[in-house]
Amino acid sequence: MIITILSAIALLILAFAYTVTLEGIARKIEARIHRRCGPPFWQNFIDIFKSLTKHSISHGFIFDFGVLMALGGTIATVLFIPAGNLVVFPGLDNVFVIIYLLAIGLLGMAMSAVGSGNPNASIGIGRALTQMLGYELPFMIVLLGVFFHFRTSSLSELAVLQNSGGTYNVLIMPIGAVVGFVSLMGMLGKKPFDTFIAPAEIASGPLVEYSGKYLGLLMTQHAFGTFIEIGLFVNLFLGGGKTIWEFLLKFFLVYFLAVIISSIMPRFRVEQAVKFYWKWPLILSFIQVVIVVFIMGRRV
Amino acid sequence: MNNEQTAWERVANMLRARSLWMLYYCTGCGAIELPPTMTARFDMERFGIGPMATPRQADILLVTGYLSTKTLRRVIYSYEQMQAPKYIVGFGSCTINGGIYYDSYATINRLDLYVPVDLYLAGCMPRPEAIVNGFKNLMDKIDQGEATGWKDYEANYEWYRKNQIDALGEVYIHDEFHE
Amino acid sequence: MSSMNDKLNEIMLMAGQFTFSEITKRQFSVNIKSSGLLSVLGLLRQKGFTHLSLITGIDRLNDEKFEVVYTLFCWESGETILVSTLVDRKTPVLPTIMEMWPVARFYERDVHEFFGIVFDGNPDLKPLILENWSEIPPMRKDFDPHKYSKEHFPDRKYNADFLPEGGGEDE
Repeated sequence: MIITILSAIALLILAFAYTVTLEGIARKIEARIHRRCGPPFWQNFIDIFKSLTKHSISHGFIFDFGVLMALGGTIATVLFIPAGNLVVFPGLDNVFVIIYLLAIGLLGMAMSAVGSGNPNASIGIGRALTQMLGYELPFMIVLLGVFFHFRTSSLSELAVLQNSGGTYNVLIMPIGAVVGFVSLMGMLGKKPFDTFIAPAEIASGPLVEYSGKYLGLLMTQHAFGTFIEIGLFVNLFLGGGKTIWEFLLKFFLVYFLAVIISSIMPRFRVEQAVKFYWKWPLILSFIQVVIVVFIMGRRV
Repeated sequence: MNNEQTAWERVANMLRARSLWMLYYCTGCGAIELPPTMTARFDMERFGIGPMATPRQADILLVTGYLSTKTLRRVIYSYEQMQAPKYIVGFGSCTINGGIYYDSYATINRLDLYVPVDLYLAGCMPRPEAIVNGFKNLMDKIDQGEATGWKDYEANYEWYRKNQIDALGEVYIHDEFHE
Repeated sequence: MSSMNDKLNEIMLMAGQFTFSEITKRQFSVNIKSSGLLSVLGLLRQKGFTHLSLITGIDRLNDEKFEVVYTLFCWESGETILVSTLVDRKTPVLPTIMEMWPVARFYERDVHEFFGIVFDGNPDLKPLILENWSEIPPMRKDFDPHKYSKEHFPDRKYNADFLPEGGGEDE
């Protein structure tokens, strides 16, 4: 019991510190790609703490409650991601539990954004949910292939099976890994799929009415969300990690790849993004599942 | 000018100075000097200053250039929507004394009669080097706790309001599409 | 050029009493009476000048008249014609050209706000650019903007120690 609580707190602190540092490093990398010096790598910490010192204004009960629901749901989801050999709830981390809990975060943000009354927020949330329709479909199909092959849907078991078997999933089902990566970029909200934030178009989308402390909480929630999504990808396709340092290294590599692809791309419109997701990624995921079911069979 | 800050205020001011978010209220022709300052040559992001699209989350309201009376009403709306602590930077000589439009029937001549200004940047328009220098001065002022425009606005609200009504008539915005 | 000359000759033959003067190679200007305004503009529109670029006004204080200039443009030949009429300064009334060009509605609103010229038949003569304006229309030459600015928008007072000899505060 004590071990569980301690490892939960350790995982939360690790997720927050590592992800926010990586976001700062990502800004630095993007700046170097643009041939300029960027901000120091601790800039995102300063941003979050500065937001927590500003005054803030509330728009009613639903507004406040939605922010708490978003942050609480995301924190609950983080506790189910295995990070190397730091597994908080061994035996309980099923992929479906994580996907179910992720919905609470998004629902909380949608509720409070609509409760703020600004039409920009409603447009942003509409676009976010439409884009979710796009990227969830190929991702789920690839996941079904993975579950069929390994006979399990528990994240830590998948990581252990890949490590003991010797090959990572990215090598035995490469098409699925590519589709998973493209869906990951949609989940993270990186260009070219960042239409639901769209700073110059709809004034930051769902975040438009949050000031001060709410913004600090939501930036923390965004960091945790990034940790969950990339952690999911690393555990499913790259084998998790025998130790925690291996996990953090693979996390960094995936994030680095996403950052350098997104720093040179413009932005899709939301219907273009959905059309894109339902064309090639969907076809490739079907091909992958057909290969897994009929050719590879189950893992013995 | 209260230079004795508690430890908490000192930490808070240090954080605020190093991560300033600007609301690009590009009211006049001075806004043309902002893209060179933000892009790769005179990179402004290395000081932590970044663009922000909505007044609720911004720290600095950058009033670039002349302000007609029509725009001033909307600037006052935006300023009052920003959350404390907030700073205003007056950009260009039109905010200082009217600039080349000093005899126009539609532009105001002194910005700090209507909203409290923390820093002026002289020039028509100031070059990016001057802008970076000015922001460094603003960061020093915030560090020492001297940039207290928002407290002035709350304390002397009656005086600002009287000046606004004198110049503008009314600060209410009539929206042609909804009336 | 020759087609332009032919067109102009045709128009002059049809309508009679005015002459075109050439500003540059593809810009012409003509001065007509306000009673024939609609017919001349309609004629020019049939001849290919289908694009209305601008309607603007000039205040001729010495002659006690307003001059209203319509700028028309032809897309096929790239030529511009400036059609100008004079109206009386005390009661300036002109017919509207909204039926021929719907965009004229906003130009006429602008000219009405800044000069005071009334366009008969335009239902929408509200102010376009200024808000809460209660003086005479500001583009008239007998309006003093500097005096207005001194009354309504206070200036910054500088200390006298860096003004030159003989210079006042702000003149």
